[in-house]
Amino acid sequence: MHIGPGFLSPPVWLGAAGISGAALAGSLAVAGRRLDDRKVPLMGVMGAFVFAAQMVNFPVLPGTSGHLGGGFLLGVLLGAPLAVIVMASILVVQALVFQDGGVEALGANILVMGVIPAVIGEGVRLLWRRPVPVLTDAVTFAGGLASVVIGATGVILMLWMSGTLPGSVSLWQAVAAMDAVHLVIGVVEGAASVAVARYVLRVRRDAVFVEPVARHERATA
Amino acid sequence: MTRYNRNTLIVGLAAAVVVGGVVSYFASPHPDGLEKTQEDLGADQPTHGGVEAPGVVFHEYTLRWFGEGFWGNAAAGVVGSLLVLGIVLVMGRVLRRGKAAASEPRP
Repeated sequence: MHIGPGFLSPPVWLGAAGISGAALAGSLAVAGRRLDDRKVPLMGVMGAFVFAAQMVNFPVLPGTSGHLGGGFLLGVLLGAPLAVIVMASILVVQALVFQDGGVEALGANILVMGVIPAVIGEGVRLLWRRPVPVLTDAVTFAGGLASVVIGATGVILMLWMSGTLPGSVSLWQAVAAMDAVHLVIGVVEGAASVAVARYVLRVRRDAVFVEPVARHERATA
Repeated sequence: MTRYNRNTLIVGLAAAVVVGGVVSYFASPHPDGLEKTQEDLGADQPTHGGVEAPGVVFHEYTLRWFGEGFWGNAAAGVVGSLLVLGIVLVMGRVLRRGKAAASEPRP
């Protein structure tokens, strides 16, 4: 879902970069408090895994493919600030090394695939502290699906604001076309998020929910 | 580094290498949801000045010297995963250290 080069007008990509830049700055400011010896390796490998997973386009409708976003999953497992940092790193590597997404559109891509899904993931994260059998999975699935559809709608809104959509197409037609495809992609995103979250919680619950420990407490422990 | 953290790094990186280096070779070649929607709507031509990275080493997700095919794609998956892992680990360590220094108890 990477917006390519030349599809956003300067006011739109500057505005999106401003929002993403502010979110990233805020995330960096609070990250230290949320990081410890267990969180850093988990954050690194989850970033590598999401990068790899994004390379796997799966067929959705005839002639159309989709790929995972991963920002929602990272929001669930790491919390929104760390998820934003990891997604920004992934999207920067994709744009600069692999020409996936326009360089000027980086802020917009971080917004729709990083910031928005990460915040939704953070909301669902609370439920994983004490998972309720069916409910936690169902809400996580729905959250993953919603994160994709909301991000996709954001992309169309930005294309519309940029004047990139042809005059013959109304905003609503464009949103309907985009969301229809991304509803299917979102189902896969939701299911994958549930599966990976369950696995990671099972093997590294201690790293997912690190209770903040003050330094003097750690020293005496 | 604890045994748990080492295992996490090994298992996580192995998963990334398998998914990005091998599974991705069998990915669907069709345009993704956004590209297809742009095509269908007639919004697939850039209308503003845009910036695309030069792509010196990789051409999209293919290592230039290996060309299209399994190994060119595998190299992209492995190198990309390692790059992201490295960047995030370094950032994580730096951010953590900054915090630890700031909260150092005053004498």
